[in-house]
Amino acid sequence: MTVTTIHPILENLKTSEINIQESKKALSFLEKLSFPTRKTEDWKYTKVSKIIKKKYKQSFASCGINPIEYINKDLDAINVFVIDGVYCTEHSDTNSLEGVFIENIGENNVNYNTLVNNEIEIFTAINTAYAVNGISISVQKNVEVDKPIHIININTEDAIIANTRTLIVLEQSSQLELVQSYFSKNVKDTFTNSVNEIIVKENANFTLTKLENEGEGSYLIALDQIKQLSDSTIQINTITKRQGFARNDVNVLVDGQNCATYLNGIYRPINKEHIDNHTRVDHLKPNCTSSEIYKGVLNDKSTAVFNGKVIVHVDAQKIEAYQKNNNVLISDQATMNAKPELEIFADDVKCSHGTTTGQFDKEAIFYLQARGISKATAKEMLVEAFTDEVYNEIKNKNVVEYLKEI
Amino acid sequence: MSNTIIKIKDLHASIDGKEILKGVNLEVKAGEVHAIMGPNGAGKSTLSAVLAGRDEYEVTSGSVEFLGKDLLAYEPEERAWLGLFLAFQYPIEIAGVSNMNFLKTALQEKSKYLGTTPLTAREFLKRVKEKASLVELNDKLKNRAVNEGFSGGEKKRNEIFQMAMLDPKLAILDETDSGLDIDALRIVSKGVNTLKTKENATIVITHYQRLLDYIVPDFVHVLADGKIVKTGDKNLALELEDKGYDWI
Ligand SMILES: Nc1ncnc2c1ncn2[C@@H]1O[C@H](COP(=O)(O)OP(=O)(O)OP(=O)(O)O)[C@@H](O)[C@H]1O
Ligand SMILES: [Mg+2]
Repeated sequence: MTVTTIHPILENLKTSEINIQESKKALSFLEKLSFPTRKTEDWKYTKVSKIIKKKYKQSFASCGINPIEYINKDLDAINVFVIDGVYCTEHSDTNSLEGVFIENIGENNVNYNTLVNNEIEIFTAINTAYAVNGISISVQKNVEVDKPIHIININTEDAIIANTRTLIVLEQSSQLELVQSYFSKNVKDTFTNSVNEIIVKENANFTLTKLENEGEGSYLIALDQIKQLSDSTIQINTITKRQGFARNDVNVLVDGQNCATYLNGIYRPINKEHIDNHTRVDHLKPNCTSSEIYKGVLNDKSTAVFNGKVIVHVDAQKIEAYQKNNNVLISDQATMNAKPELEIFADDVKCSHGTTTGQFDKEAIFYLQARGISKATAKEMLVEAFTDEVYNEIKNKNVVEYLKEI
Repeated sequence: MSNTIIKIKDLHASIDGKEILKGVNLEVKAGEVHAIMGPNGAGKSTLSAVLAGRDEYEVTSGSVEFLGKDLLAYEPEERAWLGLFLAFQYPIEIAGVSNMNFLKTALQEKSKYLGTTPLTAREFLKRVKEKASLVELNDKLKNRAVNEGFSGGEKKRNEIFQMAMLDPKLAILDETDSGLDIDALRIVSKGVNTLKTKENATIVITHYQRLLDYIVPDFVHVLADGKIVKTGDKNLALELEDKGYDWI
């Protein structure tokens, strides 16, 4: 079924068969939605015109390449591959964990497409309308998965649109660590439009670490839409390495008491890369904490955006919400746009946020040099010290090693 | 002549167009200790910063010969590798960089530059242990980030610990004694005296004669308004403490 809509980039794309009804609905929303412009508040500093000028093709071939070389042994993970946007079951580990189901998102999956907002978010609607298939990971009650699951996304052809879709459900008192990596095989003009829907039920514990490294010629728009129930803990780490363009939205709906929410990020753009991190935490219930640290090191003519929104709704008393965004500009041609937003409608809350953008501490560099450390090494040491504050938040040291090595 | 460590000739330096050093002359030979005293704002820290290579200062004329080399032509790190050490008046805190990693890197880069065999991990740790005990720097401090959360006195001891690790040919101690209680002063002085040999030299910048009871200078210089205006032996320090600088 090919539908031509008003948006040229969607011409000739085949609609999603994950759930026909849902994709039809998304298509009808798309007829009314338009792409964000500079006047769209949430996209003020991030232009999508370059992305939507291009023409893309979908891939339907599952496992176009043998992705074994992308496995990192030290991670000791269950590996799952998505190649050119298509879940590749052939090379993926699926049945090796007890109490965990890794499978195609089926037509009857009741959780699919329940958290996201296709009516408003055009890129989410595109994903729902055109995702070739999707991965469902569900962890049964009381199951603590002792190895991380690693979803490795690889784009292997130029001008691919990869509408990757993942649905994760953690049942009560379960635990899961997920690593999601994005790579490409020396290709350009690819567009990964990724949507994660994540449901973390009572007393469950979920960690997601994303490594974005598709290369300078690749566009990535990634949404994590998360719902937390009582007593649950989540940590979402967004680490952006070589990535020409990235727009990350991490949206957390904290819909239960005694929840903890940790959101962390590191971005180190070079050349003309553009990295945009938007986070939004909605505290709906009392007695929860959320804590955010995002750190950026910007070089050359790169640009980055940080927008952290925390909304404490009426009745969500005794909330503690902390947010920190620190940036270092290595080049005077780099640009940072940072904006924390706190909206508090309850009266008994503790919130703080701070954002700084500065240069390297010249005194520190001189001190290191005066002890016999070359200027270049001194800068590296300071960058490492700066970003380590975020890496230290990640408990699994194998994951930290993996992130640092790439 | 061959045992000259540093020879400063008619050194002029300015910052933001303002001349601070107005013709400094000083020669220090191996085995010597020189003390530089002088009123606040005289240019003592400026002199040490210029020697260490801080690029905010512009050297407008004069020359500095260090172990026969044109010191001013070298980058700050190269000066350190050649054997210059500055103990800062205000050692800064560097969050997230561990003291140990910092020293290891400094020593590695030095031996790479000089083409000497780098210390093994074991030798390095042995050296750390030995030198830390010299200035009674406890284990907790040496494993922390550089100067982070150190008290004023601990920072100064850490400077001398670093000096001991790096084994310089010329150490310039910029008011290392300021803010030290008498115990710390003894410890720091013991460190400096232990490291003194016939091959190296020390310049101590201080406001207080007290330090010079512990680190006995061969020469005492008075730096005032960017110049060395008087030179004498250790008795000059006593006289200065008595009468102040106005009589000079
Ligand atoms: N960035 C600067 N711009 C202008 N003047 C400066 C700057 N830095 C230092 N100075 C001035 O240079 C002069 C010398 O300062 P310096 O720190 O060398 O003095 P000092 O002899 O070490 O004094 P103290 O005994 O107080 O440590 C002072 O008058 C100081 O105000
Ligand atoms: Mg001074």
